[in-house]
Formats: sequence, structure tokens, C-alpha cells
Amino acid sequence: MIRPEEWQVLRLTVVLAALSNLSILAPGLALAWVLARGDWPAKSLVETIVTLPLAMPPVATGLILLKLLGRRGVIGKYLHESLHFDIAFTWRAVVIAMAVMSFPLLVRTCRTAFAQVDPRLEQIARTLGASDPRVFFTITLPLARRGVVAGSLLAFARALGEFGATIMVAGNIPGRTSTLPLAIYHLVQLGQDAQAYRMMLISILITFAAVWLGERLVPRGKEGGP
Amino acid sequence: MKRCGVSLIFMCLFAVPLTNAAELTVFAAASLMDALKEIGARWEQAGGESVVFNFASSSTLEQQISAGAPADLFLSADEAKMDQLAKQDLILPGTRESILSNTLVIVVRKESRLSLTKAADIANVAALALAEPQTVPAGIYAREYLEKIGAWNAVKSKVIPTENVRAALAAVEAGNADAGIVYKTDAAISKELKIAWEVPASEGPKISYAAAILRATGQPELARKFLAWLTSPEAKQSFHKYGFLPPAPHD
Amino acid sequence: MSLVVKIDAAWPGFRLRIDFAAEHGMTGVFGRSGAGKTSLLDVVAGVRKASRAFVKLNGDVLADTAGGIFVPVRRRRIGYVPQNLSLFPHLSVRRNLLYGSSDGDGGEPFSLAHVTELLEIAPLIEREITHLSGGELQRVALARALLSRPRLLLLDEPLASLDADLKARIIPFLRRIRDEFGIPTLYVSHDPMEMVALCQDVLVIELGEGRQLHAPGEIFEQRVETVYRFRASVGQCD
Repeated sequence: MIRPEEWQVLRLTVVLAALSNLSILAPGLALAWVLARGDWPAKSLVETIVTLPLAMPPVATGLILLKLLGRRGVIGKYLHESLHFDIAFTWRAVVIAMAVMSFPLLVRTCRTAFAQVDPRLEQIARTLGASDPRVFFTITLPLARRGVVAGSLLAFARALGEFGATIMVAGNIPGRTSTLPLAIYHLVQLGQDAQAYRMMLISILITFAAVWLGERLVPRGKEGGP
Repeated sequence: MKRCGVSLIFMCLFAVPLTNAAELTVFAAASLMDALKEIGARWEQAGGESVVFNFASSSTLEQQISAGAPADLFLSADEAKMDQLAKQDLILPGTRESILSNTLVIVVRKESRLSLTKAADIANVAALALAEPQTVPAGIYAREYLEKIGAWNAVKSKVIPTENVRAALAAVEAGNADAGIVYKTDAAISKELKIAWEVPASEGPKISYAAAILRATGQPELARKFLAWLTSPEAKQSFHKYGFLPPAPHD
Repeated sequence: MSLVVKIDAAWPGFRLRIDFAAEHGMTGVFGRSGAGKTSLLDVVAGVRKASRAFVKLNGDVLADTAGGIFVPVRRRRIGYVPQNLSLFPHLSVRRNLLYGSSDGDGGEPFSLAHVTELLEIAPLIEREITHLSGGELQRVALARALLSRPRLLLLDEPLASLDADLKARIIPFLRRIRDEFGIPTLYVSHDPMEMVALCQDVLVIELGEGRQLHAPGEIFEQRVETVYRFRASVGQCD
């Protein structure tokens, strides 16, 4: 039903998107909480920077990443020469592109979810002696669970479909960086429409599966107070 | 419980390696796609290791190789891209050769009533599909030809540039362009197009496909074997079948 | 106990000027809705920051804006029972109760067994918060604050949402807490009857200003009209 090369593309895409999600989860949640609750001088600057990948053209973001991480880039050059370590045009670049592009979605969704948790509950928890991490993990996060899962799923779906930044900084190399959207684009460019449509169907199916799974993981009506 | 299941799935995905070890990676110009797939299949049938092709425009492939993309062999649709790699010392010395040539044609859909008494008539179409005329070999060849016959200025504004020559072919097939300039080998595999004009070899640009083993290859011996396979009589026959010409003699 | 509170702060549309020192066990905070009673508790607890504030409890300075001191909320050891109780909806009664205490056995009289027995909520321990009645929730919130072994209790209108019958039933619990635990308490209410029933002295707050401690009975004398209105609303005859 699914051909080996299609399976390879699918697996690559899902694994790298999962890696991307895992890598942005902790910083994303932390930033979301700090933005939801805190009030500090540089706050709006940080908010703007976090939102940038959402508003900028993805290829522009990809170009910035390429300039930084390519072999002639500031970071990439050092890594290549000193550590014989490449980022651009490898799976690492795919993960980074996915992470950068999906990070704002995660932060914004989780921030809204955290803001909806009654701050009074967090304050009372503190009067009972809880440190900030404890308040976050025992009060805020459980009560915002649904929103956090939704945010993660959104980020995952975004990573699965990421194209513009990926093609810039990771290229489209079969078996290494050829993700589902890149493969579809490439097949169309080569005039292989039939195969492109097959990939498109696979794309729809996994997105469907991801969203469906998310709905099952968080039962309705389990959050909120009496 | 559900979390266990999900993590198990993840572990399975991670456990299986993403790429194979003893496998040849060949970056090749898009126009070589059908011929190479057949030649590669024969190679594997004859006991060769698995071969993975990355087909794209030669310009894209050159960029990827420059940026460190892992490939063992590069087959380019023009010598210029290979020159660029040679300048960056990315080619294994002594492995470069010119392997094929091709012919430029103007294609239209079978039912098109466009008739060209001379190539310059191409300026009459509303939309002409070309591979990107600044960077992609097929587009460069087409532009050079049009410039030579003085039609480029008239045609320039009607050009629909595409990422590679196959995309130009597809654009004409889909009706998004009235005509396109592609290789004769591309026109041959299309069932919906006909050749409206064939550029004679004496008038057209000198088309030369270059092949070389890349310095960064992890398996130079295997790459040599495959390159030899590509230039074997049997492979030459396959290329000929698809309409490729033997390499033009060097000046 | 000795609790010293001096606040001079303003927030959008509202000002708070407080200056009092309380010595006795249970001190009432009396005033109309919106007078600033909850804000006072918030500042003492550290939950709300005031531009100028000085809070000292039993010799420990918890806040001193002039001296740049601000002890974080979690280190103040203050038990707060807010008006809406703020019980954690996703935790069971047991986990709510034990949230502020590490093992539920803080030594008498702060053990889980003793507190739940005192407030008659022992049978409710394994239940979910969402399945409790108003009076039960009130007592669980009180117990949760007590089990954290606070140095100061802040009770914000603990009986406000209860009917007269339930009020009458919980006042004895509050007395028990006052007498058994002896924890200094600020008791906020707009009902003078509760003041009389429980408090040794009362801080009256009007329009954000509270400076004087009165004996509970004095509220009646000085504010006869207001009291009559209150008593009428509560439905009591004298």
C-alpha cells in the first residue's frame, strides 16, 4: 500500500517533527508561563521576537538560519572547522527549521492556556509554601493541560508541514532532509503528479491521525473548577 | 497507559536507522531522471549496491553540494556547474568526464495549432515555459539560443520560469503555458506534447552533460564502478533509447 | 501576637491607607464591600504589592518598601482562606489538605487526623472537590490553611456565602480554631454579628482608610444606623 520510499519520507518527517516538538517543549512552556504571569521591562520585546517566525516569510527565516548555520555562516563555520560537524543540509537543520517555525505557535497557545488558569489558585499555592516550579507543575500545568496539548499538537502539525525555512536551510535530500512537504513539492516540480498526489494523501492522513490522537489524549470536561 | 503506547511508537520510529550505510547517492540533473532510473535498476539487478538518486535542477544540486550535502556522484546538465564545483575543489581529480549531449526543442500540446515557420515566431505565444533562464542549464541553453536568433527581447516578458526543465514540461502539459523549450529527451517521454521546432545542432548552444565523483564521497571505489557503468556500452544504449546524444567533441 | 501593618498605596481607581497594630488573637476587619478589606489581606500575604507598605509579624519584617525588604509569599507562612476559597479543583480533598504540609503530620494540633476531626471533614478526605457542599468546602479550605502550620491566618468573609443556619454551625468551628490553635488571625467581614461572636478587636475600614482598632461592641454604638440596616438584611430581630 505504501511504497518503501514513501514510508521513508513519512518516517523521516514524523520522527524529525517529534524531535522538534520535544526540543521546544520545555523552553516553550517556560516562556509561555513567564509571559502569561510576569511583568518585566523587556517583555514586549521578547513577545515580538517570539512572534517573528510566525509573521515573517518562512523562506526569509530559512535564509537567516542558513546564514547562521551554513558552512560559511557564523556558527556553522566554527562547527564545521573545529568539530567537523555540519548542521545545514542535514537532518539537524530540518529539526531546527521545524522548531523555529513552530515555537511561536506553542508559546502563544500555551500562554493563553496558562492565562486562563485562575491566578488566585497559584497565589494560594504560594501561601501554602510552594515554590514557583512547584506551582507550575502542580497547579498551572494540570489545569492548563488541554491548552498545552492543543499547543503541542499545533506545533507538531506545523512542523510536519514546514516547507519554506526547511528547503532553505536543509535542502531536499532524499533520505536525509526530504520531508513530506518537500517531497510533494519536488515531485510536482519533476512532473510526477501521480506520486505527488499519493504523498499528499499520506500527508492528510497523518495530520488527521495527529489531531485525532490529541482529542483522545485529553478527555473533555476534566479541567476547570466547580 | 496511553502515554506508554505513544512512547513505544516513538521508540520504534527511532530504532530503525534512517539511511542505509552501503548505498550510493547520485545527484543528477532532472532531465536524466527516466534514463537513470532504468540504468540504476539494471545496475542493482546486476548485483550492484542500492543507488539513491536526487533529481533536481543542476543549479540546485550544485548549491547543495557546495553547502556540504552528502553525495558520491554528480551528473550535471552543463559544464558550468561542474566548473564551479571544481573551483571549490569539491571534485575528485581525474574523475570528471563529459558523458552526454542533448537537443533543444520547442514543445506545444498535441492539439495546439501554433505553427512556427522559424524559431523566432516563438515570440508570438502568450506564455513560454522555460527552466529558470539565469541558473538552470536548460534555461540557460534556451536563453542563449533565443539571444542568438535575436528573439530574446521579444520573448523575455512572456517567460514562465520554472525550477527545472521537467517542471517546464509539466507547465505546458497542464496548459499553463502555450509552449516550452525543453530537451528532446523530455519531449520524448511526454504523451501529450508534440515538437513544434527542433533546434539544429549547428545553430543551437553546445549542450554537454558532465559527470564527476565528488571529493566528499565515502565510497570512491563504488562510485568509480558506477561511473564506469554509466559509460558502459549497455548504458549508452539506454541513453540513446531515450534520445540522448553522445558527448560533443571538445574544442 | 504582634502584627504591625502600615500601608499607603494607590491602584487604579482605588486607594488604601492602613495603619494599625494588633495584639490579640482574632482581629476583625470590618467595612462595606469595596472598602479595601481584601486588598489589605492581599498586601499582608504578599500577594499584592503596595508602593508603600510595612508589615511586621511577631518581630519579623515581612515587607518594608522603604528598606527594600519583601519576603516572598511562600516564605511568609501565612494561611489564606480567600472569599472564593480557591480550592484546587483538579486535586482530591486529601491532596488539597496536604498541599501546604509535607507529610500531614505536623505534630499536634496540626496533624491531619486532628484538624479533620475538629472541622468534621474526616469522611470527606477521599472525595473530589467538585462533590462537596458549600459548608463542606468552607471547612476544607480552613483545614488546608491550618495544616500548613501558619503563623498568621487571613480569613476573607468565610461565612459570606452561607445561609444563616450554616453560619451558625460553622461559627463554633472558628471559635475552636481560635481557642485551640491560638494562631493570630485577621477576620474580614461586613457582618457585625460575626465580629461580636469571634473577635477581640476590630479594624474598621472606610473608603480605603483604616486606622483605628475598636472593641467589637463599639461598632454598634458608632454606627447604629448602618447596623440596623445590616441587621435588617440579615433578618435578625434584636
